[in-house]
Amino acid sequence: MPIAGLPGMPPQPTRDDIDTTWSYLQHGVTRIMMNLQEGIDLQTYMGIYTAVHNFCTSQKAASFTLTPQVIGASQRGAHLLGEDLYKKLSEYLCEHLKALVAESKAHADEALLAFYIREWQRYTDAAKYIHHLFRYLNRHWVRREIDEGKKDVYDVYTLHLVQWRDVLFAQVSAKVMDAVLKLVEKQRNGETIEHNQIKQVVDSFVSLGLDAGDSTKTTLEVYRFHFERPFLEATKVFYENESKQFVAENSVVEYMKKAEARLNEEEERVKLYLHPDIAIPLKKACNQVLIADHSTILRDEFQVLLDNDREEDMARMYSLLSRIPDGLDPLRTKFETHVRNAGLTAVAKVASDADKLEPKVYVDALLEIHTQYQGLVKRAFKDEPEFTRSLDNACREFVNRNDVCKSGSNKSPELLAKYTDVLLRKSSTGTEDAELEGTLIQIMTVFKYIEDKDVFQKFYSRMLARRLVHSNSSSDDAETSMISKLKEACGFEYTNKLQRMFQDMQISKDLNAGFREHVQALGTKGLDSAYSILGTGFWPLTAPGTNFNPPEEVAADCERFSRFYKNKHEGRKLTWLWQLCKGEVKANYVKNAKMPYTFQVSIYQMAILLLFNEKDKNTYDEIASTTQLNSEALDPSLGILLKAKVLNLDPGSGPKVGPGASFSLNYDFKNKKYRVNLNVGMKSETKQEEAETNKTIEEDRKLLLQSAIVRIMKARKRMKHQQLVSETINQIRARFVPKVSDIKKCIEILLDKEYLERLEDDDIGYLA
Amino acid sequence: MAASEVQKVTLTSNEGSTIEVDRVVAERSMLIKNLIEDLGDDAIASSPIPIPNVNDPVLRKVVEWCEHHRNDAAQSADDDNDNRKKTTDIDEWDQKFMQVDQEMLFEIILAANYLDIKALLDVGCKTVANMIKGKSPEEIRKTFNITNDFTPEEEEQIRRENEWAEDR
Repeated sequence: MPIAGLPGMPPQPTRDDIDTTWSYLQHGVTRIMMNLQEGIDLQTYMGIYTAVHNFCTSQKAASFTLTPQVIGASQRGAHLLGEDLYKKLSEYLCEHLKALVAESKAHADEALLAFYIREWQRYTDAAKYIHHLFRYLNRHWVRREIDEGKKDVYDVYTLHLVQWRDVLFAQVSAKVMDAVLKLVEKQRNGETIEHNQIKQVVDSFVSLGLDAGDSTKTTLEVYRFHFERPFLEATKVFYENESKQFVAENSVVEYMKKAEARLNEEEERVKLYLHPDIAIPLKKACNQVLIADHSTILRDEFQVLLDNDREEDMARMYSLLSRIPDGLDPLRTKFETHVRNAGLTAVAKVASDADKLEPKVYVDALLEIHTQYQGLVKRAFKDEPEFTRSLDNACREFVNRNDVCKSGSNKSPELLAKYTDVLLRKSSTGTEDAELEGTLIQIMTVFKYIEDKDVFQKFYSRMLARRLVHSNSSSDDAETSMISKLKEACGFEYTNKLQRMFQDMQISKDLNAGFREHVQALGTKGLDSAYSILGTGFWPLTAPGTNFNPPEEVAADCERFSRFYKNKHEGRKLTWLWQLCKGEVKANYVKNAKMPYTFQVSIYQMAILLLFNEKDKNTYDEIASTTQLNSEALDPSLGILLKAKVLNLDPGSGPKVGPGASFSLNYDFKNKKYRVNLNVGMKSETKQEEAETNKTIEEDRKLLLQSAIVRIMKARKRMKHQQLVSETINQIRARFVPKVSDIKKCIEILLDKEYLERLEDDDIGYLA
Repeated sequence: MAASEVQKVTLTSNEGSTIEVDRVVAERSMLIKNLIEDLGDDAIASSPIPIPNVNDPVLRKVVEWCEHHRNDAAQSADDDNDNRKKTTDIDEWDQKFMQVDQEMLFEIILAANYLDIKALLDVGCKTVANMIKGKSPEEIRKTFNITNDFTPEEEEQIRRENEWAEDR
């Protein structure tokens, strides 16, 4: 059947003649290439396809005769036709593209861009058609050539791309790129552009990246070389110039805003019309010119921002410098120094008189700085671990080495422990539980930075002992909460004794209940008494430094309790800590009192006062011999009774309490309150206690060091001296920072005691 | 693409007779599938698709095969399904379908090649291969009515060169 074709279309060719076939095909291909929008009718479409098919299956193939040479040359089997057609098409495309190159010279900039995109679109649309129409060629001849490893034969669509790349692209890509870059620059300067054009150019460049090894795959090489490279270059130049000028005319803070905006813009640009592949190199290029090139002035500004609390600007600087390698290190160093100085200044402000420094004021000063800069790290530096570490370093410095600690690093843990004591002690201004818990958490924040944790432990346990013995702890819950926090921070061993103290109090409670029952059963009327049994090893308490002969009334009850206790626990030795005992006495003798006064007194004071039940006047020597108290205990006790005017110092016996003085009961005693607390701690006493605590610390440290050394050696058996020292430091660091000289001394001691032996080569051995 | 997709396609054979088939059936041919994709639904809705290289009986036969295989997995662009290539197994329906005279068999193969229906081409070629299998050159010549145009020397050379392929 004759096929009607396009107007002017040559007649269907004879199947095996290349010239007539091609002239027929060329007509159709040209139509597709130039006027596709006008459409192709079915006849033409089928005509072209059929012509290609017929040519490739023409008689030449069928009548092919085998010759020995051909058979010997390869295993290719049947000969396939199509090479002529392929060549004609290839030449045709080349001519078409040359014409386009010539035409392109008439255009520049945006017009050229439009031209390129228009022609590209038209060409690739046509290529899809021609690819289909020449499918028979693709399926057989091209396929065979490719299978046999021919590198320069492509399927028809790819052939189109290859020709475009080699003929047109090679000539015009640079100019197209210029146009693209001009357009982008316009946009960077704030103009609105037709960015879809750029996207199309990108897509075109990407399509041209044909994999030499496998034409079905694409690579980004062409795109990277012809688009990405010049694009990055232009970007750098643009921002180098812009930033240089901007920095010259504006403040650093303004520049950071500008840079941030520009970086965001570029990120948007990638999403909008660039290939995603450029995102990383573009970011890198921008980071370099916008940030790294200006990093010095940025960093110089950091101190100013810190000094003025410009949080938002610091956050901006952080986010900018975090984009470049090692960008933040200098900031961290500055930050650390700044925080340390802020801490030191804060301490200096409150430390004008270190001796009278209120623990709360001191701890609050530390906390305020920590809170302030922790907030900054969180809000401006995104809680970055390295900044947190700088903060920790700074805090550790100013917590342990500041004006208050001049006399010794013990001061910080001591004050912290004291503040904790203030918080946990019963007070008139009852703090809410939740609030107290919050404050304890803050205490732990400071505690974390304390290097001499053993000092804190010492003071804490002393003060806990006092709270427990005098039962003026604000709440058991708060006490346990604090102990468990310490345990969490420092381990079981650290809080072992504290916990045992707590337990002792609990056991004592039960014991007292048992004792009361026992007394009732006996039917004797005892005192209203309560006893605490405190384990010797756990409590930081020592036996009284004076003899004491308890008053009869008390002694009888004590005796009863001793028997009761020894009955329960055979073989245990009880030591009376008289200095911690206290009681109440009623003063029935006072004239003009509507109600008898009640005196809260220490047991020493009680012993003194009870002497006045017998007679109204006692001499110092009488009191001393009956109570057996030495003057260190007796004098202050009398002092308070005199000061409160419970006793009067007899005239004529001199102004001083001491041998020769005599005392009489004041029947005219007057006080606003009916309960009078005479058992007030004496300043000198606490002072003394502090000094003692500090003294024991050194001793305890030596023991701690020695036990650590023995532990290590027991495990290792043999070790280099140097290694042993550093291992000891590692083990002990959680408690305090040991001095190397101290460790060496301890090793010497252990060598002398023959726990260790010196071996050759500076080795130390363990002796079991 | 038109609002409603055209469901029927008309094909015109070499002689001018027309066959109406479902679109999916016609699209077993990659040629027709590409054509519809390129020219659009409107083009095929208004006029029949000329198939100049195939005559009416063969076209009907091909359409019959396509109808039967309308639900097979679509032929992907250029894949070589090695399994299909290597086996000479042919399913029962196809075997029956191919029980035609030699002339028709070759016409079907040519049409399948032209219309780009790979599966049908494969079935046709396998059928021919099965006809050759196990036969001596002389028997093959007889089967396909081929005159021996080799000289004895040529024949000897070919045999020597193809020794590797012989069953032993």
